[in-house]
Order: sequence, then structure tokens, then C-alpha cells
Amino acid sequence: MSSRRSRSRQSGASRISDEQIVDLVSRLQQLIPEIRSRRSDKVSASKVLQETCNYIRSLHREVDDLSDRLSELLESTDSDSAQAAIIRSLLM
Amino acid sequence: MKARMQMSSSVVKQEFFKKWIKGMQIYSAFNKEMTIMERKRAIKLSADVAIASTRSATTQWSRAVVADVSTSAAGAARAAAEEILGRKLPERKALATTCSKKIVRRSHQRRSKAAARGVVRSSAAIAKKLVRNRTRVLKRLVPGGKKLDEISLIKETLDYIACLQVQVDVMRHLAAAAESLDHQQISF
Repeated sequence: MSSRRSRSRQSGASRISDEQIVDLVSRLQQLIPEIRSRRSDKVSASKVLQETCNYIRSLHREVDDLSDRLSELLESTDSDSAQAAIIRSLLM
Repeated sequence: MKARMQMSSSVVKQEFFKKWIKGMQIYSAFNKEMTIMERKRAIKLSADVAIASTRSATTQWSRAVVADVSTSAAGAARAAAEEILGRKLPERKALATTCSKKIVRRSHQRRSKAAARGVVRSSAAIAKKLVRNRTRVLKRLVPGGKKLDEISLIKETLDYIACLQVQVDVMRHLAAAAESLDHQQISF
């Protein structure tokens, strides 16, 4: 850290990007249901990143599960029912 | 960094929904009788390309999703993607997988110098290492994240999560609607 301070030009740049990172991390925190209600000064950057990763993984899983569900729903609809025709014309 | 498109959530949802349906219709035009697995793939790929296309290549993650589809998709999948994007996809190119494998191997071989010396780290150093490790995981989860610096990565993540939320929301609503239609008896 002290070596960075002695290089004045670089220390200016790293100070700006530290603020930027703090701002971006708090914006991330707002997006994540698990931690958005906590005070931003109480949640560490590493915690926000960890919860971000968990949240993205759970969203990926949901997309996959919903794709599963939808593929079954379209398969199981009775071929001659009115609602099957509606769903099919809308989707497939 | 390009300005992020500020669109209202409902506008994005509508655009996503329309493009998603278009993609699925192309799939069924190619193949009237699909297995459940094929149908699932059709639903998922159409959804992924549709949500990426709402960003019209202004973000790294959406470009990475389209690039991935360009290299791996063929037949119905390719046609559906092209319909959603409104353009032809570039020729299929092999990914530079050998290059990335080398990088992974190198980082696994790198041993912590402090661990080798048996040094106990300060809490600040530990926090820094945690952030670095978690950033590495995040890079793998966000499409196109690997080549980004930390600030760009977080900006991309903000946009990516917002779009994933839209995708999940619309898919959830459609599944619920299809389910309730399934359970009801509509009489004419």
C-alpha cells in the first residue's frame, strides 16, 4: 500500500476507482433480495459478491426449472381441448 | 463504458416476451413433433437469446450469449436465434478453448507465497483475498465476464441480474397461466 502512495499519479487513480467500486457494490446489494434490506455499511464487499454469485446461480436454476415446467405443460395438455389450442397457438 | 439503456421494466418484459414467442414458433415450424427434452431446449434457448437481444449488443454479457449461440447452434436453434436477433449469425467458428485451458492450469499451479512461508495474514489481506476469489467466481457466472476488469464486471453484473430477473418473471407468469388453463375447464 505504501508503495502505491509514493507513486502519486497512480494513488489518485486508485482513490477514484475505490469510490466507484464502493458505489457499484452498494448498487449490487440493492438488487439482491437476500441482503438488500441490510445497511450497506454493515455488509462487506466480499459478502455482497458472495450473495451476488449465489443469486445468479439461483436465477439460472429457476430459468432451467421453468423451462422444464413449460416443456411438460405443453406436452401434457389434452390435444383436443380448447385451452391446449390457445396455449399452442400462442407458444408453439 | 457505453451508457446503459434505461428502459422501463414493462417495456423490456414485453420485448422479451414477443421475441421469446417468436423463437419458439420458429422451433415448432422446424419440428412439429418434439420430445420433452427438445421442447425444453427450444424454450430455454429462445428465452436466453430473447433476453440478450433486448440489450441489442450494448453489453458484454449479451454479446457473449449471442457469440456462444453462434458457435454452438445449428438447424432450428440457429434459425430461432436469427429470427429473434433479426439478422444472420456469423459463420460457426471453433472457440479458443485451448488458450483458456492453459490459463486455468497456470492459476491452479500458482501457490500462495504467504502460505509457503507460513505467514499469518492480516484481516485486511484476508478480506482482499476473499474479494479476489469471489470476483473470480463472478467472472465465470456472468457471460463474457472473464475478460473484464473489476469495475466493468460489476457494471455488467448489475445489468445481467436485472435482465435475468425480467426473464424469470415473465417465464414464471407464463408457466402459472399455462398451469391454470390446464386445470380449468373452458366450455364454449
